Amino acid sequence: MIKIVQTKKKKETKTLLAIGFLSITLISTTLLSGCTQNQNGLSIVVIGRDSASGTREFFWEHVMGKENFTSKLQEKNSNGGIYQTVTQTPGAIGYVGLGYVDSGVKALKINNITANAENVLAGTYPIARDLYLFTMGNASGLAKEFIEFIMSTEGQEIVDEEGFVPLPTSEAYNSTNKNPSGSLTIGGSTTVFPIIEKAKDAFKVKYPQISITVSSTGSGAGITSVMAGTVDIAMSSRDLKSSEDNKGLMKYTIASDGIAIIVNPENTYVDNITMEQLKAIYKGEITNWDELT
Amino acid sequence: MSLRQLTKFSTITKKTIKEKSVKTILFLSAISAVIVIFSIIFFLFQDGYSIFQTAGLWEFLSGTRWNPTGEPPVYGAFSLIVGTLLVTIGAMVIAIPLSIGSAIFISEIASPRIRSIIKPAIELLAGIPSVVYGFFGLIVLTTWLRISFNQPSGESWLAGSILLGIMAIPTIASVAEDAISSVPREYKEGSLALGATKWQTISKVIVPSALSGITAAVILGMGRAIGETMAVMMVCGNPTYGLIPEPITNIFAPVKTLTATLGIEMGEVAQGSNHYHALFGLALLLLIITLAVNIIATVILGRLKEKQKKVLKKRIPLPYGISKKIKKTLYVIIGLLVAWLLFISSGIITTILILSIVASIYYISRKISAKNIQRVAFGAIISTIVIVIIILAILISYIVSNGIGAISWEFLTTEPADAGRAGGIFPAIVGTFYLIAGAILIALPLGVGSAIYLTEYTREGKLTKIIRAGADLLNGTPSIVFGLFGFAFLVLYLKMGISLVAGQVTLAFMILPTIIRTTEETLKSVPQSLREGSLALGATKWQTIRRVVLPPAAPGILTGAILGIGRAAGETAPIMFTAVAFSGAIPSSVFQPVMALPYHLYILSTNVPNSTQNAGGTALVLLLLVISIFLIAVIIRNHYKKTIKW
Repeated sequence: MIKIVQTKKKKETKTLLAIGFLSITLISTTLLSGCTQNQNGLSIVVIGRDSASGTREFFWEHVMGKENFTSKLQEKNSNGGIYQTVTQTPGAIGYVGLGYVDSGVKALKINNITANAENVLAGTYPIARDLYLFTMGNASGLAKEFIEFIMSTEGQEIVDEEGFVPLPTSEAYNSTNKNPSGSLTIGGSTTVFPIIEKAKDAFKVKYPQISITVSSTGSGAGITSVMAGTVDIAMSSRDLKSSEDNKGLMKYTIASDGIAIIVNPENTYVDNITMEQLKAIYKGEITNWDELT
Repeated sequence: MSLRQLTKFSTITKKTIKEKSVKTILFLSAISAVIVIFSIIFFLFQDGYSIFQTAGLWEFLSGTRWNPTGEPPVYGAFSLIVGTLLVTIGAMVIAIPLSIGSAIFISEIASPRIRSIIKPAIELLAGIPSVVYGFFGLIVLTTWLRISFNQPSGESWLAGSILLGIMAIPTIASVAEDAISSVPREYKEGSLALGATKWQTISKVIVPSALSGITAAVILGMGRAIGETMAVMMVCGNPTYGLIPEPITNIFAPVKTLTATLGIEMGEVAQGSNHYHALFGLALLLLIITLAVNIIATVILGRLKEKQKKVLKKRIPLPYGISKKIKKTLYVIIGLLVAWLLFISSGIITTILILSIVASIYYISRKISAKNIQRVAFGAIISTIVIVIIILAILISYIVSNGIGAISWEFLTTEPADAGRAGGIFPAIVGTFYLIAGAILIALPLGVGSAIYLTEYTREGKLTKIIRAGADLLNGTPSIVFGLFGFAFLVLYLKMGISLVAGQVTLAFMILPTIIRTTEETLKSVPQSLREGSLALGATKWQTIRRVVLPPAAPGILTGAILGIGRAAGETAPIMFTAVAFSGAIPSSVFQPVMALPYHLYILSTNVPNSTQNAGGTALVLLLLVISIFLIAVIIRNHYKKTIKW
């Protein structure tokens, strides 16, 4: 009697286990097959900047002709963020300042013109703009020295090293009889940020007693903060808007920059792109890399 | 009057003056939480309401396009609200089974020894800073999702839900466990004595009687998930105009949540523009949603407490047959709803398949002996706890293995170089310590004073209710809202600028409710007889509090303070707009910006290419810092539990 009960129980447990196993595999396979999409080619993942970025504003005006982006555009709040996503995502396309282009990504030619400093300087690369620093009123004291330093030959070498386009002319920085002191806070554009970071390090070698704080918050925030007096110098990748004009801001152009269109190095579909194709991608009319080859 | 009498008189008046002034000071600190929550609402409203006028309240709430810099600008928050809800619902689907399973395991199944290991492990999940989750999600989770599901991009609704689900587990599990543990022993014993199996007792007696507590736990977890910023911002993809997935069940679509919109756009917006006001409008919306969720949870928990206190008032039950019918129709309606959702999302074949599987499982389960059902149920519960532990192990081992290579003496003691790719994080470590030190210096006196006033100086009444509600609401306020408030009030209105002090005050507001709550609980645990003894000996009220009540409560208060510090150390969103800079020296005054570990990690992992090694190192240092702070709190708490017995 006891034996019979035991075998019955065992059988029950076995069937139970079998049913459980079966149902789990069934459910998981249906779920997985439902999710996986097998597509030909490679879907384009469109990456862009957030709505307050100077780079995005420029891109929107000069590439999109002020038309809306695709609603699938994924937002990143910095150049570095776009770079990061493009390196991680095979199908991604994004736009960054020239300074952010390196071997981790592939910069596309536009109308067969390579994105580099020479072509920006020559005016042949179609999407290029200037980079600025702003101060409230004329720069004075430490801020003035720092801006002079960036615009000097030494500073412009840093601009060049970081992959941006230096000013056409510059003079040697004259540090004789100068002894600036105190502290300086700088905030704003993430595009300009790498230049200022490097320049800060070089400047501090000259004057070890000063302290400089840099935060990369975006062009809009930089300009807002300099007007509110919370930072001394604003970095910006765009010119002032009409609402920001006539508030007493002084503009210093410190470099030029091309906007590079970058894709993942694994992307074998394209090396060159036309402005029309670029616009179509960002409008969501072209959604697969297949359509470009 | 003799001289002696006169001196006696004057000491008495001195005493009463002292007592009165102490009471006033305590009262002022007690209402601080209420003042803070009201000023948060006030400032959000002040900066946000104009968008309801320019865009129209209805358009703001129902518009599906968020394009504040377009021409013309469009402010439609609906798709952002939908994004928030979708991510939260997904998170709950993941978190509810895992955390309730864990709660049942800890309170009913585990042996005391296993419990003493598992419980802190789950609490550890709560200690991991949001930005560390985001860092993990950005590098590991999204890549894994993209490859294993063959998607073009892993940054999606699903990624956000998984992260938020994990983050909500400790909140839900701990409140649910409290609820389950507080079910009277007699219920359990009665059921077992009647011959019910352990699982029958758990499923038919214990869980139903703890149901309202479990519901509150889920709602609290939901509140946490809705307000979470950093992790969501880093993994959800953030489609630029906000996007309602098509179809709505497409879990691989990117979504943009309210918090992510605030986190991304707030830093770059021109102050005073319509866009700026629109963001404050969003923050107000977010605050209202989370407050509503938290109020619901508080009400449920409050009722639960009353229920436990009072003898159960008997409701007249519906006749058995009718209540059964109601239940049946409810089940049918829910079943149809689920079937319909399945049909929409995955077509007719899978619907039939899944439904038949469910039906057969139900049918078979009725035929199986109670013992075997218990086996299956326990197996499922144990697997939930195993999953939670595995998740924790993956997270910790990833952070450790990824960060250990970067850690060196130089890394800890030098300044960053090359935009954080090289050099160390010394100023960020110091900055974090400055921030938490300032926050605790402000929050501890306010919080302790407030708790003393609540427990020692007032009877339960309207005033205590208001103060407690203020603290609860403050506790439920999303950290990004604190950030916005700090920016509008401290940075701009009080003209502190982006500065150390602004960050300290913002963080202090954030941890204030934690300190109030823990202190209150400790003070309540000091027996009334001690107070009565002291008062009977002629001590004044303040003397009693200072000499008799506070000393034994000190370890408990310390624990609360440390928990607050731990929370402050890991938070990013509140300091993002108020205090931090990406690079800079150690500040020489409180009016300078500082570097901080969580923000440094955020910027390295999202803004600076090729900085993975230092980002990993920063994540590890931050994790170790926060976890060791929590460990100290746990050790003090355990030690205190063991040594003090009344």
